[in-house]
Amino acid sequence: MKRIAIALAVSLAVSGAALAQEKTIKIAGFGAKTGAVRSFGVNSEAALLAAADVINKQGGVRLADGSKAKIAVEFYDDRCTAEEGISIIRRIAGTEAIVAVGPTCSNVAEPLFGILQKKVDDKSDSGLQMPIFTDVAVKGGLAKISEWSFRNVPSEWTMYSSLFYWLKTRNPGAQTVYGGVEEDFAHSRASWYAVMKDRAEANGYKVLGNSKWLLNDSNFATQVREMKNANADIVAIAAHPFTTCGVLKEMQRQGVKPKVLIGLTSSSSMETLQGCAKQAEGIIIPTSFAPVTKEGKFAAETTAKFKGAADLHSMAAWENMFILKDVIESEKVSGNKDQLQADRRKIRDGLAKLKETKGLLGITKRTEDREADKPYLFVQATKGEWKVLHDPL
Amino acid sequence: MDFYYGLAQIVGVHTLLGLSAYIVLLTGQVSLAQAAFFGIGAYTAGMLTVLAGWHIVPALGAGAVVGATTACAVGFPALRVKGLMLVVATLAFGEGVRLFFFNFDYQVAKGGIKVGPLGGEGFRQIRYFPEHGWTTGEVMVFIWAFVLVAMAALWWFDRSRYGAVLRAVGEDELAAQSVGVNLTAVKVSAMTVGGAVAGLGGGIYAHYTTHIEHSNFNVLVATFALAYPIVGGLSNVFGTLAAVIFVQVFLIEGLRDLGDWRNLLFGALIILAMNLRPHGLFGRRRA
Repeated sequence: MKRIAIALAVSLAVSGAALAQEKTIKIAGFGAKTGAVRSFGVNSEAALLAAADVINKQGGVRLADGSKAKIAVEFYDDRCTAEEGISIIRRIAGTEAIVAVGPTCSNVAEPLFGILQKKVDDKSDSGLQMPIFTDVAVKGGLAKISEWSFRNVPSEWTMYSSLFYWLKTRNPGAQTVYGGVEEDFAHSRASWYAVMKDRAEANGYKVLGNSKWLLNDSNFATQVREMKNANADIVAIAAHPFTTCGVLKEMQRQGVKPKVLIGLTSSSSMETLQGCAKQAEGIIIPTSFAPVTKEGKFAAETTAKFKGAADLHSMAAWENMFILKDVIESEKVSGNKDQLQADRRKIRDGLAKLKETKGLLGITKRTEDREADKPYLFVQATKGEWKVLHDPL
Repeated sequence: MDFYYGLAQIVGVHTLLGLSAYIVLLTGQVSLAQAAFFGIGAYTAGMLTVLAGWHIVPALGAGAVVGATTACAVGFPALRVKGLMLVVATLAFGEGVRLFFFNFDYQVAKGGIKVGPLGGEGFRQIRYFPEHGWTTGEVMVFIWAFVLVAMAALWWFDRSRYGAVLRAVGEDELAAQSVGVNLTAVKVSAMTVGGAVAGLGGGIYAHYTTHIEHSNFNVLVATFALAYPIVGGLSNVFGTLAAVIFVQVFLIEGLRDLGDWRNLLFGALIILAMNLRPHGLFGRRRA
């Protein structure tokens, strides 16, 4: 009888410990894993899983009661469509996820943030109360749509201001700029008209015009001919890797060789080099990630084990996971199912309180409108690799 | 539960989109302009609630009226052509409308910020529902009230003399004309009703997504609009509803966890469904 009692006590203790260890904090990720921009979602998922794995191997995340919980990541494919993005965030809100990281596309982020409650504690606003911490969608100024939305994406305004200023001192002979814009992609379009073009003119360059194409275009002969006729010193391409490569190949075919070639920040990825390393040789792109620090190299290597590539977007997802770990611990998230909404609110408030966060390139400042002011570098495609050309900071 | 309410909202809006093509298909016409009427309704209703401060119901009504008027205006010249020529004509019109919205800027300052359509960047903050405290369930009921009215109206049309005339034109134009049916009037009226239903659906779409842009009304949406009644069958309005549920709930949402396989299965399952039910999910075999 005594043996049975001891066995029972031991088994209860073991199962109790097992139950305690089984406590998990669920973090949902979502983005485009299919379609023309699928690589962004694939890489973000890999980075989230890799970062969660590192945290879990270090013991997990400390909860309000002092216990440790593992982080579980579930990633959803929104196919870069607004309707599916909205459906997914409602689905995530119905799970035990305390925060969502995503989306990939700015045209998904806009409606998604729109269905969130605009101002916290506004009882008259029935919008969804779910914190979203964006890693990829980079079109300027989106987080201001809702106080539940946060972003850890670079400020293109700051980066291209700095780039054109630097180019002015480095290439004083260059006077004119010509743009190429992926017209039907919200981010590319906003990047050219509201950022690159504006920043070039602000730095004394004469903008000669721009050519337009669409995300699914595959023939760029006319656009590159316009570019050739403009004969500008600098060509700035506001397009994602797929059409950037198409344009670069056409530029090579037509013999268009500007003094300086500038790319969109989202194109500072492996996709560009895999698609057209030869034609992209020399292109300069400002980016908020390059594996130049010990932490950056580790993040890139760990993400690679999860079949993802490290770039400014996927590494933002990596950073988000560690920022969220800190917020969970500092805000004393309970991890209890019956306090799910309270935990989500703690995450929101914790993210809103942050003045700065630790990033892979250094300290990222947080702005009042829930955006990030991230450190950045200028990288250049050189022999099939991205090499750091200049560190303006 | 909100997720399921949200899903029901999507099904409701897509049912309206499909029904707008259904009535045109009854006359034997294939129109790729439904996405354009959908977009016109979306921008009209969105602008009326956001910029003019209208209540949602008259704004949706206005979206339907503008959609119907445009469809009627397009119907007269477009329906003079048949078959593939009509497909091309309506496709061109749809792309024209999409490009119009791509370049359409009309912003006014409201509460310290500029609101309204902003060309390629779209039209954000169409937040009538959350701003008025509507829960997801209430929005779903609201949407389905319109869907049921539209379905009931089309059901009634279908069983009336008007429906018989539509189907007669769809079956054999020459025979219909030979018994005195005015083909232009029938086709244009079907197009107009379709435009009204699409405009209504678009208005609702704008308000449940809170953000619209030109790409929401592209040829893919027009293709979906046509696919719903074709996959569902033209026997009655329930075929369209069944097809929307099949596509939106089963294929898109139900298979989401399959990742990359979902897109492959998506096409394969539609082909399979059309092979197993060549006259549509709710279609009847002809004698």
